Amino acid sequence: MITVSLIIFLIVAVITLGSALMVVTARNLVHAALWLVVALFGVAILFGLLQAGFLAVVQVVIYIGAIVILIIFAIMLTQRNALEIGSRFNENWGWALGISALVFAALVWAIVSWPGFHVQAQPLDARFDSVAELGKALVASNGYALPFELASVLLLAALIGAIVIAWERKPEER
Amino acid sequence: MIGDIMTSLWAILPVIVLALWACVLLLVDLWLPKDQQGSQQGESNSPITPLLAALGMLTSAAIVIARIGQPTMGFGGMMMADGFSHFICLLLLASGLVTIGLSHDYMKRLGIARGEYYVLLMFSLSGMMLMSMSADLIMVFLSLELLSIPLYVMAGIATPRPSSEEAALKYFLLGAFASGFLVYGIGLVFGATGSTSLQQIVAVVQSGNYNLALILGGAALIITGLGFKVAIVPFHMWTPDAYQGAPSAVTAFMSVGAKTAGFAALLRVFVLAFPAFSADITPVLWGLAALTMVLGNFAAIAQRNIKRLLAYSSIAHAGYIMMALVPYGQDGLSADSVASALFYLVAYAFTNFAAWAVVIALEQAGEKGLELQDYAGLGRKHPALAAVMAVAMLSFTGVPPTLGFVGKFYLFRTVLEGGHVGLALIGVLTSLVSAFYYLRVIVVMYMQEGEPEARREPWLQAMAYGSAIGVVALSIFSAPLLFLASQAVLKLF
Amino acid sequence: MLQDYLPIVILVLIATGMAGLVVLLGHLFGPRRPSARKAQPYESGMRPIGPGTRRMPIRFYLIAVLFILFDIEIVFLLPWAVVFKKLGLFGVAEMLVFILILLVGYVYAWKKGALEWE
Repeated sequence: MITVSLIIFLIVAVITLGSALMVVTARNLVHAALWLVVALFGVAILFGLLQAGFLAVVQVVIYIGAIVILIIFAIMLTQRNALEIGSRFNENWGWALGISALVFAALVWAIVSWPGFHVQAQPLDARFDSVAELGKALVASNGYALPFELASVLLLAALIGAIVIAWERKPEER
Repeated sequence: MIGDIMTSLWAILPVIVLALWACVLLLVDLWLPKDQQGSQQGESNSPITPLLAALGMLTSAAIVIARIGQPTMGFGGMMMADGFSHFICLLLLASGLVTIGLSHDYMKRLGIARGEYYVLLMFSLSGMMLMSMSADLIMVFLSLELLSIPLYVMAGIATPRPSSEEAALKYFLLGAFASGFLVYGIGLVFGATGSTSLQQIVAVVQSGNYNLALILGGAALIITGLGFKVAIVPFHMWTPDAYQGAPSAVTAFMSVGAKTAGFAALLRVFVLAFPAFSADITPVLWGLAALTMVLGNFAAIAQRNIKRLLAYSSIAHAGYIMMALVPYGQDGLSADSVASALFYLVAYAFTNFAAWAVVIALEQAGEKGLELQDYAGLGRKHPALAAVMAVAMLSFTGVPPTLGFVGKFYLFRTVLEGGHVGLALIGVLTSLVSAFYYLRVIVVMYMQEGEPEARREPWLQAMAYGSAIGVVALSIFSAPLLFLASQAVLKLF
Repeated sequence: MLQDYLPIVILVLIATGMAGLVVLLGHLFGPRRPSARKAQPYESGMRPIGPGTRRMPIRFYLIAVLFILFDIEIVFLLPWAVVFKKLGLFGVAEMLVFILILLVGYVYAWKKGALEWE
């Protein structure tokens, strides 16, 4: 049965996969990073189609808004002059393709063989507020309170790490 | 509600204390008077910082000891403070303390002393301890990240030394990749059972309402992700370069801490959640253990650099510990499996720290003094250090009556009880192969002439002698340790 | 459920449409007299010095990492803020701990001078 959401899904899926392919084949690193924006935006729309609106927002805010920016910064920090890095393939690409195809086939088989795969999931109730449920689960002591607090410790450790590794020493202290 | 929260917090109190102590120490270190001697790059370190870090670890250890025998669980079954986690936590905290002792003068000598180093060490330890308590795959992942991220930074703390940066980058890139595998595995298990909690997974498996292909795929990916951390073949590629490039004290901590935490998580997840699938998983573990022992030991023969040699030795020992996991699902054997793995982890920790303490004592600035030939004449010039190294090498080999031998004995016994004669045979044969390169170190130290220079730093020497005495003492009194290890069973809900 | 996203779709369409329109109008009505100097990279009207793709100071990286970390904090803050009135004191205390831990990092970054731009 062809529905509107199915058509949207197919279009978005093709765009996402195509731009993901461009990310790994583009010869210019900045172009690859920009294709990544398209791919990540496609994933955000897929989240939206799955009624996970919050994850769609996270995808845009964190991945497109912050991580791609960091990637572009990293490119500008490291590349000396030309951004053309030539072919992305080395002599092992055939092997990599074979193994990836094998793993992909195995995963597809595993998922399709599962009976639940063929059952259409019921759409969520219109009154179901996933963001509010997430908020409650995040702080519930028998829910995800500990992972939530641990996330902030993790972020702190990452922050210290970034400063330890990348902080420029002041000349007078050198 | 409040009582519920208090029980939950009580369950992970040692980690809370350690992590908060690290946060406070980070701020305190900013305002402490700095010792400019240990700095060449504008970095500096207050002599009080390591002491405060050690105090925090001791406090945490005291809390763990005070609660031995009182299993508690918290956060709706997400965290489990049982005999198993107490055992692992104490081993980890002891490793942390030894690492502080190894690092203190070493970092100053190399001009890379920084207060943040000890804070990162404490964060990494918190992650490792949480990992030994996690009874939920989400927590396994988060604690893996918390233990890894500080380790990546610590491996690169000798920046701008290229080898250290290379070590950090390799460890980070492959580690991030491995984390991806772990998350994917967790995702598949979640898809198969509808939960990440081990308790729920067991319930779903018993009800039979799950997808076998997905759960096996998930288990395979979880082995991959955690196998990377404990350096089993074929996920070991990063190990030699990361171990060689990282500052030696960091390598010592990395090899003991990450291995202990990784195996703790593997044991808890597989013994608790996946015993029903052992018919499919055991052959895979069998193959990985055999491959790791063979490749680790044979590759170590060719090494001339002592850090690389110990790196391959670390891979080989991951293979030996992996053996304990092979019969994890057989009736009545899972307790033996856990006990022999824990025993060997302790044996490995003590032996490894003894060896690394000697390496650190002999290391000269600019990564000199790390070749095997630099150890020539050590037996005559520094007999005490040479004796420490000899004890470590004998224990690594598994020569009776050392601790390594007792550990391997229990491992082989567990494997044989499980009926895997071939694997035990591979273990014995590769141990014989390993004698070749371990004993070569002893031969070089005692039979060849040379003028090695060793540092006389009080803390470093204390750690070297302490670890070696620990190895000897535990070899003689191995029964109580095995008793403790066998008491440290996994508590299921 | 899909109609919930209609405002966003309209917004995206208007935004891309406006951007496209501006470029299109410029193309249609703007005079085009290319010269070698005009083809140079734009540098505030000055004669460009050196290549346009020089390496940037590492400080940018540090700022970007700090931005990501606090960005993630906001993501956690959002679902909490939606329901925080229902969560009571416990929920507030938990968020307080979360923010305090990150505040430690902020103080550290500040004191280390990672936020300074000489």
